[in-house]
Amino acid sequence: MLLPSECPKAVRDTERLCKDLKQGRILGSTEAACKTLDTLTTAAGECGKLFNSYLIEWVPRIIESRPTSLVMINLTREFLERYLEALREGGVDEALGRVKDIVDSIKRHVSSVRDAVASLGSRRISDGDVILTHSYSSTIINLLRKALERGVTFSVYVTESRPIGEGLITAEALSRMGIKTILVVDSAVRFVMKKVNKVVVGADAVAANGAVVNKIGTSLVALAAKEARVRVYVAAGTYKFGFETVFGELIEGVMLNDPNLIIPCKEWVEKLAGRVVAREPLFDVTPPEYIDAIITEHGLVAPQAIPILMKGVYGWPPRVKSIESILKEVQGVGGLQS
Amino acid sequence: MEVYRARFPSEVTRIREDIRVMRIRGAGKIARAGAKALAIAAELYRGDDLAGFLKYIEDVADYVRSARPTAVSLPNAISYVITRLRRAKPLSVSEARELVVKAARTFISYSLRAVKVIGELGAKRIENGDVIMTHCHSTAAVSVIATAHRMGKVNTVYVKETRPRMQGLITAKALADEGLDVILIPDSSARYFMKKVNKVVVGADTVAANGAVVNKIGTSLVALAAKEARVRVYVAAETYKFSPMTVVGELVPIEVREPAEIVSEEWLRKNPGVEVFNPVFDVTPPEYIDAIITEKGVIPPQAAILILMEEYGLSIKEIVGVAEETELKEEELRE
Repeated sequence: MLLPSECPKAVRDTERLCKDLKQGRILGSTEAACKTLDTLTTAAGECGKLFNSYLIEWVPRIIESRPTSLVMINLTREFLERYLEALREGGVDEALGRVKDIVDSIKRHVSSVRDAVASLGSRRISDGDVILTHSYSSTIINLLRKALERGVTFSVYVTESRPIGEGLITAEALSRMGIKTILVVDSAVRFVMKKVNKVVVGADAVAANGAVVNKIGTSLVALAAKEARVRVYVAAGTYKFGFETVFGELIEGVMLNDPNLIIPCKEWVEKLAGRVVAREPLFDVTPPEYIDAIITEHGLVAPQAIPILMKGVYGWPPRVKSIESILKEVQGVGGLQS
Repeated sequence: MEVYRARFPSEVTRIREDIRVMRIRGAGKIARAGAKALAIAAELYRGDDLAGFLKYIEDVADYVRSARPTAVSLPNAISYVITRLRRAKPLSVSEARELVVKAARTFISYSLRAVKVIGELGAKRIENGDVIMTHCHSTAAVSVIATAHRMGKVNTVYVKETRPRMQGLITAKALADEGLDVILIPDSSARYFMKKVNKVVVGADTVAANGAVVNKIGTSLVALAAKEARVRVYVAAETYKFSPMTVVGELVPIEVREPAEIVSEEWLRKNPGVEVFNPVFDVTPPEYIDAIITEKGVIPPQAAILILMEEYGLSIKEIVGVAEETELKEEELRE
């Protein structure tokens, strides 16, 4: 265990990260994962030889703060595996020296995957399309930018995406690019769906059965799209796949109980205090039958074909270690060396 | 319109303004306020020229009716009063005044009684231990849920926030006052929570001749999510919310309100490239509705025409007459 006096800045930063993750304050699941890697890099610099203890204590807490985010689990796992390898090869000093390189190379990989997803997905956008998107996804924004750069003319409906309201950020970004952008409340999704011909959304995670975990409201959008025979595309690189779900693991959701997220003014908070509970799930699950294709860096696949892609990339059954077991190995190697 | 306003009592202009800016909201309340405005106008009329009075009341009726376009309860309430005045063919101003005031009072007490009866009929449809979801604020829907709660059938209700105007807060308070366990949820989580719900109970602004229900934006989405989860959907609606105009093919106009209801003026200024589309109502198709609960009985939505025939008779001519009145109203709206 870390003593409270040891690496105080790293601990403070990580506590803040956990809080931001829990409250959905970091936009985009990949951004959240990259922020996590950055926090680990800074912590490695400050903690020095105590970094192993820091990892063992704080990594599980970070993961718990946004358990739906398979991106974070997958990228953190990759970081830990490569850190462990360095630890085995050259001890703590060598491993610490490599932290920044490991993080940079993971980020480079993620960035190239995202670019490939956006490029592939942008080909599905055609002239005259009316797109609907929900919440905020930097991959979707990139995808639409690439379509725009190819000279495709289209317009985009953006839902405000309560309770956090990320849709406003999406609307702002798209309109700045010169895309015709129309903002609507989440409730208006069915009303506008008959004017829409494609739905494109990002994902926090993709399960083995092709179900997609994404910001709350996504499944409602997909349902309304299905009813209106509008196609639904999910953009998600393979680093968002939930390999554990192959072995039956459930992807956990996040539930907030903060009346202030829903109720806009103090007057009403007081009127309802103690008598009304607020419940805000931050994610929901869209079943595979409501999704037409998942756009990955390897191409567009039917959601039901996700296991085939998992096999192609990671073997079958996918050989993944749990974060817990890697941390145990880190502890073991660290213990031997100290 | 400006010319009229100067001649109308300030209480009447205030009621119309309250309806327009949604200080008075909910189709039932709007209807009662409309009837009340006519009674006030009649009571405060000074003069003994009968033709002048009749013209004046018709002007007030048109003026009040044009406050909001979608809810049919307002024109229906006004027609209720005006039709009785026209049919009676009064001989003096005092007799005419009496007719208007009496008809308005009858309508208001009928409307209040209807809400109670709907509560009782609707509560019979609720089963022990049901968990209910509701959207927006509807006095009739609250009446059903509260009555079922008093009968010991319901304890828990999910109330959707109902953006952009957050009428869910009013419903949350009303149901908490009745002693229910209220769970307030974002609109986007309707499908997430639907699997925990047994019944959806909502109100209506307008019921069309085919049984389609026009209600607050988001209602059709909840109904769709309910259908997917095999959860029953009940609409609580007084008979004066059924639209006679739709029998002759009129569409129900859907009101679109200000962007500033959704985002701040400051945000709009910063993002001139974003268009904000704020439709207030949507249409739930009859096939997503299990029953409409009226004060005259529980009916399948497809039988809406039955209610309309009962209310307005079989005569298409009479119904077209009502439709012509609406055209008048719409012309004024364009002004």
